[in-house]
Amino acid sequence: MTLNNGSKKSGGKIYVVTSGKGGVGKTTTTASLGAALALRGQRTLVVDADIGLRNLDVILGLENRIVFNLVDVAKGHCKPAQAIIKSKKSNNLFLLPASQTDDKDVVSEEEVKSVLDQYRREFHYILVDSPAGIEQGFKNACSGADSALVVTTPEVSAIRDADRVIGLLAAKGIEPHLIINRIDAEMVRKGDMLSVKDVQEILGIDLIGVVERDDQIIVAANYGEPVVYNPKSKAGIAYQNIAGRLCGEMIPIEDVLSDTLWGRLGKRLGIG
Amino acid sequence: MLKAIRSWFQTEGRDKSKASARSRLSFVLVQDRTGLNNDELASFKKEMIEVIERYFVIDESGFDIDYKRHSDTTTLVINSPIVVRRQDMPTMSGVGSEAKRKSSRAVSE
Repeated sequence: MTLNNGSKKSGGKIYVVTSGKGGVGKTTTTASLGAALALRGQRTLVVDADIGLRNLDVILGLENRIVFNLVDVAKGHCKPAQAIIKSKKSNNLFLLPASQTDDKDVVSEEEVKSVLDQYRREFHYILVDSPAGIEQGFKNACSGADSALVVTTPEVSAIRDADRVIGLLAAKGIEPHLIINRIDAEMVRKGDMLSVKDVQEILGIDLIGVVERDDQIIVAANYGEPVVYNPKSKAGIAYQNIAGRLCGEMIPIEDVLSDTLWGRLGKRLGIG
Repeated sequence: MLKAIRSWFQTEGRDKSKASARSRLSFVLVQDRTGLNNDELASFKKEMIEVIERYFVIDESGFDIDYKRHSDTTTLVINSPIVVRRQDMPTMSGVGSEAKRKSSRAVSE
């Protein structure tokens, strides 16, 4: 297999998925993008760096298959190949789970970096799900990353924390790309939610995707199957598009407003 | 009439709670990005106004400080609406002599 996606180092590209604030959709984004990349034939590893509070395993429906974890690999308790779990849905998607019983400080930045480097050759893409916050867990998750996917929702608190994280990533020389999650077209139209343009202007970094609020995310999480397998889900399509952009395809950012009833009508009448 | 219909279909720009979110965010982000606290920011603003007022009559209500991030740099943007140039210019040497008679002035970091 040849791995060629523009990475300077040999092997795949490592992205940290981060946000500062908790609950904005980091884990869902990691799982969905991982599945979407795998659907495109990219061999992808998703890594749960939230030691002590792991969740990527349940989002992917792999919670009952865990034997070893990231800490075991870092400490040499098992071989790297023994710790990763293949997804039920795809032969290209693998999970490296976090330890649920350890503390965040049990591994160092160097150890995490060395673990990721051991997998880099085997995968096209490695997505590292960062814990919330900007402390040790965040630093660990960033330690091996080439680039970052910063997830935010169109809310004051989430954007503020994203801004803080962007500053910290800049100091580490990690290039950030923005994903705006849970946008509600109808609320934006009414002027009750910051628009994609607003958030982009405020944060001032490259926008790589916009994901609309979608009930199917919760349904998918209930089943433990990433939302990208649901062809009717708007969020699923949005994640597919982000995966395409990560692979270098020129896919325009979705215009969420054109999809509201009034947006469609207005467009049809030529006054939107 | 057409205007009313247009505004009904208009996709963005209505000033509702989003306007409040934007202005609160820009306030809090200037604090976060500069690392200056409320008092420091207030005294910075006061001193900047004092310097500019030696040379220009300005509209203080429109005075605004922003801290903008671009892809590779961060810029401190001081926006000061100038009403008129002062006639009784001070004779102090060096201070602010390069201030241009423009409504906005960027001091790069």
